[in-house]
Amino acid sequence: MSVQTPQHRYVGERLVRVEDPRLLRGRGQYVDDIDLPGMAHAAFVRSPFPHARINGIDVEAALALDGVFGIFTGKDLNHLAGPLIAGRNDYGGATLGSDLLETKRQLLAADKARHVGDAVAVVVARDRYLAEDACELVHVDWEPLPAVVDANEALSDDSPRVDEALASNNIVHKDFETGDVQAAMDSAPHVFRKRFHHGRCHPAPLEPRGIIADWTTGADRGVTVWISHQMAHLMRTYLSELLQMPEGRLRVIVPDVGGGFGLKAHLFTEDVVIPLVSRALDRPVKWIEDRYENLAASNHAREVFCDIEAAADDDGRLLALRMKFLGDVGAYSPVPYTPWIDVGMAAKSMLGSYDIDNVGYTTDAVLTNKCPTGAYRGVGQTVGQCARESIVDDVARKLDIDPFELRLRNCIGDEPRVNPIGPHHYDGGSYAECLRKARDVLGYDELRERQLELREQGRYIGIGICNFMEHGAWGSKTYRAHGADRPFIDLVRLTVEPGGSVVVATGLTPNGQGHETTFAQLAADALGADLEQVRVVQADTERTPFSMGTRGSRSGVVGSGAILRAAEDLREKMAQIAAHQLEAAVEDIEFGGGKASVRGAPSQALTFREIAQIAYFAPEKQPEDIGEPALVSTRSYDPDPTYGNGTVVAVVEVDVKTGIVKTERIVFVEDCGVVLNPMIVDGQIAGGVAQGIGQSLLEQLAYDVDGQLLSGTLKDFLYPTAGDVPSVEIAHVVTPSPATTSGMKGVAESGIIATPAAVVNAVADALSPFSVEVDHTPITPNDVRALLRAAQASSQAATT
Amino acid sequence: MSNVAPVSDGSQDLRVIRVVVNGETHTGMAESRTLLSDFLRHELGLTGTHVGCEQGVCGSCTVLVDGELCRSCLTFAAQVEGSRIETVEGIADGDELHPIQRAFQDNHGLQCGFCTPGMLITTRALIESNPDPSEAEIREHLSGNVCRCTGYAGIVAAVQQAAREIASADGGGA
Repeated sequence: MSVQTPQHRYVGERLVRVEDPRLLRGRGQYVDDIDLPGMAHAAFVRSPFPHARINGIDVEAALALDGVFGIFTGKDLNHLAGPLIAGRNDYGGATLGSDLLETKRQLLAADKARHVGDAVAVVVARDRYLAEDACELVHVDWEPLPAVVDANEALSDDSPRVDEALASNNIVHKDFETGDVQAAMDSAPHVFRKRFHHGRCHPAPLEPRGIIADWTTGADRGVTVWISHQMAHLMRTYLSELLQMPEGRLRVIVPDVGGGFGLKAHLFTEDVVIPLVSRALDRPVKWIEDRYENLAASNHAREVFCDIEAAADDDGRLLALRMKFLGDVGAYSPVPYTPWIDVGMAAKSMLGSYDIDNVGYTTDAVLTNKCPTGAYRGVGQTVGQCARESIVDDVARKLDIDPFELRLRNCIGDEPRVNPIGPHHYDGGSYAECLRKARDVLGYDELRERQLELREQGRYIGIGICNFMEHGAWGSKTYRAHGADRPFIDLVRLTVEPGGSVVVATGLTPNGQGHETTFAQLAADALGADLEQVRVVQADTERTPFSMGTRGSRSGVVGSGAILRAAEDLREKMAQIAAHQLEAAVEDIEFGGGKASVRGAPSQALTFREIAQIAYFAPEKQPEDIGEPALVSTRSYDPDPTYGNGTVVAVVEVDVKTGIVKTERIVFVEDCGVVLNPMIVDGQIAGGVAQGIGQSLLEQLAYDVDGQLLSGTLKDFLYPTAGDVPSVEIAHVVTPSPATTSGMKGVAESGIIATPAAVVNAVADALSPFSVEVDHTPITPNDVRALLRAAQASSQAATT
Repeated sequence: MSNVAPVSDGSQDLRVIRVVVNGETHTGMAESRTLLSDFLRHELGLTGTHVGCEQGVCGSCTVLVDGELCRSCLTFAAQVEGSRIETVEGIADGDELHPIQRAFQDNHGLQCGFCTPGMLITTRALIESNPDPSEAEIREHLSGNVCRCTGYAGIVAAVQQAAREIASADGGGA
């Protein structure tokens, strides 16, 4: 039977979001907006030391405070659940096999604290103020220990051990080579080397983490959890295991989420502690992370030292590329991913759209007494692009070849091909076209002229390019390409209700991406319904089928694939009913405008409501061969990997007197295949670009030499503001992906994957007259001044 | 369990605070140290005002107190006794979105929505004091409000549209 596919009315349209009005009216519901009867409030006692033995904890004075309901330490809780082990409680989360040294993280540190902010006790009280008062009265007998602060030193034999149970601070080493890198280096006319330090970042969503747990005991025992998160169903799976509570008695609800960016795609110790204390006190308990906790004790990301070597011939053809990635990953493995993700994905993305035969990498992830590092939008890929694009510009500068031209000379063709690292099965793209288009949008040649003119006036602008690729649509095969054989499964349930309403139920767990709008667009088109008929239900384990959650630029592709399949099932059933009723052939039934009609005779039509009424309530009007008349289908979709691509160019001006870098322009040419809603795609790009500017110029998580965190407030960790980010000049190229049902590719991370490399290169380009090497992020005004002072000193030394 | 405390007797430093929020008189209890943000959210149930840092930096908690922009996370409830406060819940006119809110929707000036209440209140104050702001003025005025999602482009465009619409509506009424 072949049922017609409806015409697109909504896909590709710039539709405003249906979720906006409630958010604009202050009627969203975030975790901290939820108030339950009898609810108590938790606060954590955290280590002020980077590394310290806990000789005892005295809670008596705190417990005596009126309104304090209970105080719990590791001795009270750690035997009840845990420890948390990355790569074990995984269910699709791990990216490593057995060759990882496992950190076993207790719910509350009982013997040693391993980073500033490590939690050692939790106070539950009538309100948060009291809970924090009580935290100050908890007396911990600390014995400070020498801290491991530098990942490079952590590798030496005489370094203190972050985890004495492990043989080394280096918890994973992996390497890879294709071709013969050393031979290519040895015979190449030019070899370039540099060390690049990608600084610590933080996803830092504006809404910090938060959880409410309501544990009921007795015959109706069960746990309901409200949590600001990206993976409702996986959270239920993790908690079910750890709390030994059957999934049927565990409900996870994710309300509105104030940004996630990967941070909220983890399992944290607090997520287990809060349900346990709810059980112990027999009342609902809420914990809302404050900003200090967020900055000190959630997850940081992507602190990686990159040792880069590139070999080129006289024409700038790249002959070999070798990188060593050394991750400073903090005190514990993040659950579920393991700390290999940053160095691993840096390595797996180091080749991008370059055509190089001899490529090799090594990756190491080294424990230190700092905040653990985990997933942040663009995991590792940002580092990979920074490392590669930075050395590519070095090659261009030293061989005096234009950086656009050098990239074009080394660019792969547009057709699908296999990149040996992974291997990644590229789904084809527009790698050179995006470079050319970016150059045109930029007005490149005039800009270079202006750069020279301004230099005469003592003003220094720089142009930096990144030709990027984004590994998106994460599913089983993408995971396999990154070294993990973990199946993914995501279900979507599509229902036509008796009155003709269409309900899309999905466990994908959005945090600002606009799924209520985009999935409705897609479902409306796939069924031929009106947009207003469609409602999207999401992120509640009791109302939606299983999903692996929203992360890795996957929701759009995964959700749309499953919706398209389920819609096909429903169209078939509805076409059968309509054909029977209208006395037409099933093949002649077409869908559109909320109706099924006979082709060529549009007046012969049934509305969705009329069809549904027959399906639900009028068996006598159903065709005999209808089978089950149910207008519901639950389907899954596990896409092949997609590789979006594009070119971003940053134009910056560096004030050499103050060291301040101002981002003047960002030109962003991207190809994410078929676009579902261009407004939302552009919004994802612009937001990622801002984060990329932030992480390359402003945002810093500094530790002093003893391991003390210096960036515990938003006055130290600087978000980019409206004055720091230009409006992004976005241009699209569309190469539909042959790998996905919808032709879409993942796009949500490209802004942050690509922008830092462009900004770093732009600063280096601006400062090129001074012969300085930009070799780290973030590039703060102090850093620029230090580079210029050093350059001045060395040039003076050379002339004397 | 030995570490579970006896139930509290509830004695504490509480006072009655009377404020007019969005035109309605509200009375609630607050300790001397209760922050205005917590008073609005947890005592009066006006959860549209958000708390992103409690350090006075992110701007999510911005409200108007007697017409002045105010970081409610850096203000004690006791300080605003008797004041008129405007929060995000008071911007729309019943079912009808305010032109500023409509402009934010039209221009994709919000994604997760967490910074949005502070952005709307700050925008309203800007347009009231400067009906025709330049892009640079908008960016400067909003520089105390952080957005982690949008990259600000949609927000800036929204403020421009809202200023235009409000000016033309005012012009039409004059």
